[in-house]
Parts: sequence; C-alpha cells; structure tokens
Amino acid sequence: MYAVEAVNLYKRFGDIVAVDHVSFAVKKGEVFGLLGPNGAGKTTTIRMLTGVLKPDDGTAKIMGIDVHEEPIKAKSLIGVVPEEANPYPDLTVRDNLTLVGMLYGLTQGDIEERIRGLLKVLDLYKARSRKARTLSKGMRQRLLIAMALISEPQVLFLDEPTSGLDVISARKIRDLIRSLAKAGVTVLLTTHNIEEAGAICDRVAIINKGHIVALGNPDELKIKTSKHMYLLALFNKPLKEEELAHYLGPYEYRVNGRKLSVICEDPGDVVERLLSYVKSSGVKMISIQTSQPSFEEVFLRLVRR
Amino acid sequence: MDNWRRTLRSIWAICWKDVKIYYAKGPIVVMGVLFPFFLWLAFQIGRGLEVKEGIAPLIAITAFFTSSAVTPIILPWETRQRTLEMLLARPITITRILIGDILASMLFGLSFSFLPVLYGLLLGIVPNNLGTLLGLLVLATLEFSTLGVLFSAMPTDVPADVVMISSAVKLPLIFVSGTFMPLNRLPEIMRCIALFSPLTYVTDLIRGLYGGGNYFPCILDISVTALYTGVFVLLTVKLHKITVIRRLQLK
Ligand SMILES: Nc1ncnc2c1ncn2[C@@H]1O[C@H](COP(=O)(O)OP(=O)(O)O)[C@@H](O)[C@H]1O
Ligand SMILES: [Mg+2]
Repeated sequence: MYAVEAVNLYKRFGDIVAVDHVSFAVKKGEVFGLLGPNGAGKTTTIRMLTGVLKPDDGTAKIMGIDVHEEPIKAKSLIGVVPEEANPYPDLTVRDNLTLVGMLYGLTQGDIEERIRGLLKVLDLYKARSRKARTLSKGMRQRLLIAMALISEPQVLFLDEPTSGLDVISARKIRDLIRSLAKAGVTVLLTTHNIEEAGAICDRVAIINKGHIVALGNPDELKIKTSKHMYLLALFNKPLKEEELAHYLGPYEYRVNGRKLSVICEDPGDVVERLLSYVKSSGVKMISIQTSQPSFEEVFLRLVRR
Repeated sequence: MDNWRRTLRSIWAICWKDVKIYYAKGPIVVMGVLFPFFLWLAFQIGRGLEVKEGIAPLIAITAFFTSSAVTPIILPWETRQRTLEMLLARPITITRILIGDILASMLFGLSFSFLPVLYGLLLGIVPNNLGTLLGLLVLATLEFSTLGVLFSAMPTDVPADVVMISSAVKLPLIFVSGTFMPLNRLPEIMRCIALFSPLTYVTDLIRGLYGGGNYFPCILDISVTALYTGVFVLLTVKLHKITVIRRLQLK
C-alpha cells in the first residue's frame, strides 16, 4: 500500500485545465517532491490530495483510503501546510495549536502534551504566548508546520514550504523535513526551487501545464538526459549570429554576447565547426569547456518540451 | 475517542475560535448591540411608550441584530487572512464549519437577548410562558445567525461588501416587520410586505407572549419561523459549498 496515490487526477477551472490526468504514488517514509513553475498545477494537485478540492476525474488516496469518499477518515491521517496560508493572527501561538488539535478531535491532555513537544522542536517555546501576527515569517512558517504536526500525521503535505523565506529559515525547515522523514513520516512537498528538490527529495515529479513530464530520483533525472553535454565557449568579440548559424546549423545553441552554449552529444564535432567559424570570421576563442547538465537545465529542457 | 465525540469537538473548535477572535472585537459589539438598543430607545421615547409595551420589540430586535452581526463577515475575513484553507485541510467539512459559526453566533445572540428578558423580569414584566419564549429565542437566533452566514456566501474577501449588503437587507426589515408598530396598525401595503419578513413572525409571537395580542395564531408564527430556518440552513450550506472553491482562488 502506498502512503499517497494520485490516479488520473483531473481538474479544470472554466477553460483552464489546471491538472490533466496526473498519476503518481508515494511510498511510505519517502520525501516526494512536485517540482514545477508557477501555474503548473502543483497547488491544485495538493488540494485534491488533501480533500480541499474535489477532482473532476480520477481518485486520490491516503493510506489506501479514498479522500473524497471518506474525507474525514483520510484527513485525520494527514497534516497540511497550505501555500501562503496563515495561522490566526489574533490567536497566540499556543491557541493556534490548540485550535488545530481540537479540529482533529484530540483531548485537552493530548493537546497540551504535544504542544509542549512541538514548541521545543520548532524553537517556538519563547514565543508561545505571542499573537501570531507578531511573528517573523520564518517563525510563522514553523508555527504552521507545528500546526500540521499536532495530530502526529502519517503523511505531511507542504505546499512551497520555503518560498519567501530567508536562507537560514529555509535551511531550518529543510533540516526539519529530513528529520521527520527519518522518523518515518511520509512527506509530499511542492517547490519551484530545483536545488531544494534535488537536495531533500528522494523522488521528484516534474510537472508543467498540468502534466507530469518526468518522474524519478534527482540523480536519475540527470542521467536520463546525460547523453547531452553542454559546451560553453567564450570569444573575444560579440558573435555574429547569421554567420554562426551557417556553421552550427543542426545544433541547439544559445548566444549571449561573447558567450556561446551548445547542447550536443558529440562535442568534438562542435569544436571542429567552431574552429572553421573562427578562421573565417576572425574572432578568437578565449576558452572552451564542457559540462554535464545541471538539474536546473534538465528541468528547463523538460519543461520547454 | 468515539467518532461523534470527535465531530462535536471539531465543531466546538470552530465555535471557540469564533468567540475568541470575532466576538471580542469592539466595533462588532457596538454595531450589533448598541445600535439596535439606541434605535429602540429612540422609538420608545419618541412615542412615549411604557416599558411594558416596549419589551417585546426590544427582545426581537436584539435577537435579530446580535445574531446576524458577526456571521456575515467571518468567511470573507478568513479568506482575506488566508486562514480558511488551513481549516479546510483538517478533518472537518464546510458544513461543519458553518455549524460551528452558527453556534457561536447563537451563543452571542442568546446571551444578549436574555438581557431584556431579565430586565423585564426585574420590573415584574413576565411573559405568559417563559419556556415558550426561551424555545422561541433559540429558534430565532438560529434563524438569524444562519441568515447572517447566508449573506457571506458571496465569494468576496472584503468583509465590508457583505456588511453593506446585509445592512441593506436588515435595516428595512425592522420597519416592515411590525417591531415598533404592531402589525394591525401598519398600513395595508406594509402589512403585505411584512408577510415575507422572517422577523415578523418572531416579533408577533414575542408580543403575544407579553400580552400585546398576536396578529397571527401562535402555531403559525412558530411554523413559519421553523420553515424559514430550514430554508436558510439548506440554502446556506448549498451556496457555501459552491462558493468556497472560488474563495480559494482569491488572492
Ligand atoms: N480556484 C481556482 N479557480 C480558477 N482557476 C484556478 C484555481 N486554482 C488554480 N487555478 C488555475 O489553475 C492553474 C494551476 O494553478 P496552481 O495549481 O495554483 O499552480 P501552481 O501551484 O503550480 O503554481 C493556474 O492557471 C491557475 O490560474
Ligand atoms: Mg502553488
């Protein structure tokens, strides 16, 4: 049994198809990332999986329970940090946590005990009596995570958990996610930050325009396209594009002033062609290097398709 | 814990949050409590009525205003503050959230409606059936609280929009529902309009209970109030289920 299962999820808003038959499955204890640009359909997917939105088609399952047939049962197993959500600004840190505990039907005793633990782990103990409106953005995000954890969920959903945070706060949250995973919690997060996905996810689904365009662990995704190399060359003068096109015709390349990058499988052939170009145009080549594509480049290539 | 206990507790959580956040706000209390009181006072003094005649309308408009003061703004406010989705992702449904909101509003409305009842009792103005009065007040605050929630079904994140619309409906209702002027003294045309106002039947029954003479039979007052309540509840749940999706998109 999978912790989370998306089968053929489909959702449209008017003419916009936000999520177009998306399927994937997250194993227990895995950190799974949904990576994609803005408007890709990440939030809509999360909302369908967490029972906030009803899919037009397809099914969402948490621990084998259909989220839309048994919403209360499925939702009791999960913790959610929605995108750009806020705790209640007029309630204290403690009251925000109590509220969520009550929503899960926990007893007052359980709530008190768990709050004590969470305040320590999330470094909010000193702020426990402050109103949420007075918290910094990093603290507010940690409070939201604490609120998602108070029910001791088996699966944690985080929609863009680090977006808009400073580097240190973001780091704290990433560390926390890894340690939760170590403790056996399944994590499904979304991000548009490739490095983040590469650093903390066991597996990543790349989503664009409502479609999953690639799925695998971050290293695998790099390997899949690695027969492509990147060749980068620097010249002493800006390049003339028409003339260059004559030599590099069949290749995918980008010119940026004196810089040239070419995607190729056989760098030797590109170098020969560039040398002919240098001879005929009189520019000088200052440096040349090849590299494996970074995760970011993989992402951009997949998304552009 | 049993399932139904969990359910009750989650509804109670919504109610608890509402009381802590919304019912502690000054301007809301002023608009919902002081405003109807002074409106009543103006009429009372203006027409030189005795307290005995005025107690029934005072109870009716207090129940009406206090119960519908806060409920219209809760959902727009939560949309604006981005706290709504945080609730929707928990083991609770939109229907249960609405029940919690209505419950908080009823507690608020009931506690303020008891004040004029107590005031009357202190002066020796006793309704001829206290039990019926209390039962009616529970039903009426449910009806008016739900009406308030119904207004908030418009998918906006600007609380002032809903306040404006709800005031535009609520204020005229006071004047056409036989509150300050008993139905039998209203002009014919007003009396026809009064037939459609939910406040009419509540006021009529309270006036009857205080010996001021019913216009309609008791049983009709109660049935129509119950009917309106049922319609409001169904409509509220139905509309909110539709508009809550649009709320999620408001930024
Ligand atoms: N409630 C909604 N109503 C209308 N359109 C929506 C709604 N939610 C999302 N969309 C549209 O669906 C698409 C996907 O949005 P979203 O899931 O928020 O993407 P992401 O989270 O990846 O940025 C966008 O084009 C967005 O405008
Ligand atoms: Mg999003």
